[in-house]
Amino acid sequence: MAGFSELIKNFDKTREYVRDFFIYGCKVRSDFDKKSVRTYDDEKRRVESWMQDYMRYDDSVHGRSVSISADSGHISENPLYNAYYSKSFTDNDIKLHFLLADILCDGKSRTLRELTDTLNSEYEQLFDDQTVRNKLREYTEEGIITAEKQGKAMYYSLSADRTDEYISKYKGLADAVKFFSEAPDLGVIGNSIMKSAGIKNDLFHIKHNYMIHTLEDILVPDILEAVDNKCGITIKKFSVRADDEPKEEIIIPMQILVSVQTGRRYIAAYVPKTRRFSSFRLDRIKQIKKNSACTDYDRLRERYDANIKRCFGVSFGDRHELGNAGAIKITFIVDEKREPFIIERLEREKRCAVLKKTGEGLYTLSADVFDPNEIMHWAKTFIGRIVSIEGGTEKIRRRFYSDISRMNKMYGGVKNELIQ
Amino acid sequence: MNLFSEIYGTYFRIAAELLENEVTDEKTVRDTVLHEGFRDSVLFLPQKLIPCGEDLELFRREKDNTLRRITKKAPVKVLTKLQKMWLKAKLSDPRIRLFMDEETIKKLQTELGDIKPLYRHEHFRLTDRFADHDDYSDEKYIANFRTALDAVKNRRIVDISFHTGRGKRASGRFVLLKMEFSPKNGKFRAYCYLLRNDRIRSSGLINIGRIDSITDTGRVFRTPFSMDDYFSSRKCKEPAVIRVTNERNGVERFMLEFASFEKHTVRDLEKNEYTVELWYDEQDETEVLIMLLSFGPVIEILGPGKLRSQAKERIERQYGLLCGE
Repeated sequence: MAGFSELIKNFDKTREYVRDFFIYGCKVRSDFDKKSVRTYDDEKRRVESWMQDYMRYDDSVHGRSVSISADSGHISENPLYNAYYSKSFTDNDIKLHFLLADILCDGKSRTLRELTDTLNSEYEQLFDDQTVRNKLREYTEEGIITAEKQGKAMYYSLSADRTDEYISKYKGLADAVKFFSEAPDLGVIGNSIMKSAGIKNDLFHIKHNYMIHTLEDILVPDILEAVDNKCGITIKKFSVRADDEPKEEIIIPMQILVSVQTGRRYIAAYVPKTRRFSSFRLDRIKQIKKNSACTDYDRLRERYDANIKRCFGVSFGDRHELGNAGAIKITFIVDEKREPFIIERLEREKRCAVLKKTGEGLYTLSADVFDPNEIMHWAKTFIGRIVSIEGGTEKIRRRFYSDISRMNKMYGGVKNELIQ
Repeated sequence: MNLFSEIYGTYFRIAAELLENEVTDEKTVRDTVLHEGFRDSVLFLPQKLIPCGEDLELFRREKDNTLRRITKKAPVKVLTKLQKMWLKAKLSDPRIRLFMDEETIKKLQTELGDIKPLYRHEHFRLTDRFADHDDYSDEKYIANFRTALDAVKNRRIVDISFHTGRGKRASGRFVLLKMEFSPKNGKFRAYCYLLRNDRIRSSGLINIGRIDSITDTGRVFRTPFSMDDYFSSRKCKEPAVIRVTNERNGVERFMLEFASFEKHTVRDLEKNEYTVELWYDEQDETEVLIMLLSFGPVIEILGPGKLRSQAKERIERQYGLLCGE
């Protein structure tokens, strides 16, 4: 495997592999048919190297499957963060990183010429001006170096903000970073602070922890910037097969929708082509390209704020599929004396729906939402208590009855001809 | 400004650690790479750090064969703009008050001055978080949280009185092991052992929001314990075994929704079905059961018998309700 490196240039490709290893947990080499064998072997080896103890191998007649297996509620550090810590670099990158900081850590500011001269005279390192200038520009953008014009010359100094000083100066900050580095959102940045300060999370675990979200975090800053700047973006989706053309779509992003129960995150956006609001799964988006400002953004945002209140989850509905769906009403039966916790559950999980007591031990949930279908996945968590379903669409109601009938058969129940 | 940058990378971090000392040696380089690097880093990084003609020239070999750094001082750890933006965003999170007092928050806000927060609360919308999440701004809650956190950090034995999920009052002497947060519930809990005569009686979980009082006994729990033992004591004896079909994109939906669980998947290529073994905390059995039921006939609980019969009982009851029985 000549030329293999455990460092990578391109995060998108790795995202796809890590996701497949992590989510499916049973894919074998031949499943990755859209990639070359060499690519698969290299990516697999990298993931093995980063994830170490979390790798699992199973042999079958179809080949050896590789997966990442972790109970994410029982780990103190998300192992997928390692993917972010594997960016490749040049020899000049690492040398200039340490040498420029070594020169500038005395607090004084210097010109480009002074810096290249010092590198040569005191460190015996010969760099051309352009290389150093590019690095200084890059580090100014990263906030590591401050650039200030004095007269005609640009002076560079090192930022005075030190990770370890912040941690020791602000009481409680270390614990806060330990927590937020594992909790959503963008925890990998907190983890990078901890790594820099030499601290480890020894206090917190996160339950219902969708670690895989960290791979999508690479897209989040650009989305948020587009929202703040009221800009459109072009999203490029991952292709499903090798011969697929990656799909591109122009959208105006409004918000990031997070489902803490299904493990999915979406961009809620206005789609100029269809003139509708839609949601796009973050894990299916490969790249984002920023577009120009949307002149109509404020009006669209106002519409979005009104519309999102009628979403039970993330769906703005599809008129072709749903037609004119009416409000849906689901009635539940509860033993009020012995099961007050069921009423509490309905209250805390009903979201935008309205819950009313409609009879002795009967509670009816009404929801006037764009896509009543979204309620049904949740409603099925109350199997055994649903007395009736009214409204919505006939298709939704029929599917529920049919599902219950099939499940009854599946679990060996007695068939009753009355159910349709 | 980029999340995926070598400045946060493992190789840069290892180099920084080695540059802390004026002089190092080959063994220290290899040991540090082995300890701090990825599994295969030891095959690639040492030869980049140890002078050999193809190295990064961060060290020079001395006559006594030690390695002297080319820098004059230990590397400084600069907080990047991205890290400061992240911190600024977290200062607007109500949970920050669990860790820092108002005065400290204000000082840090002033220090971060003109830094733009990386995100604002309203950029995100949690679509399905439970409505009865903890009130992180409640003074009593904050005080209880801090006492509990201090107990975790210093292994202090604490007396706690609280009310259970069913509303009953309970109290006892506990050692708190770790804190847990659930984004779905919006609640903090403490993993704990109940103590009787200073001995571990049973393992448990206490919701911080249900604590009425928590008092430091002034004593420290010195018996060694491991989190693995704690988690094992709470793990289901047998995994749930689930048959997952691809109807309605069931496989992807199931795998994503259960991504946070420890699981083992076997695929039947002929039937295009998956059999998944799923491990969970025994206390979460009902939660797991209702999550499974929400998939309808797309999945089937094959075992263990107890879990399957619970599903069967609920489905039969539901079938009866729809048939008017």
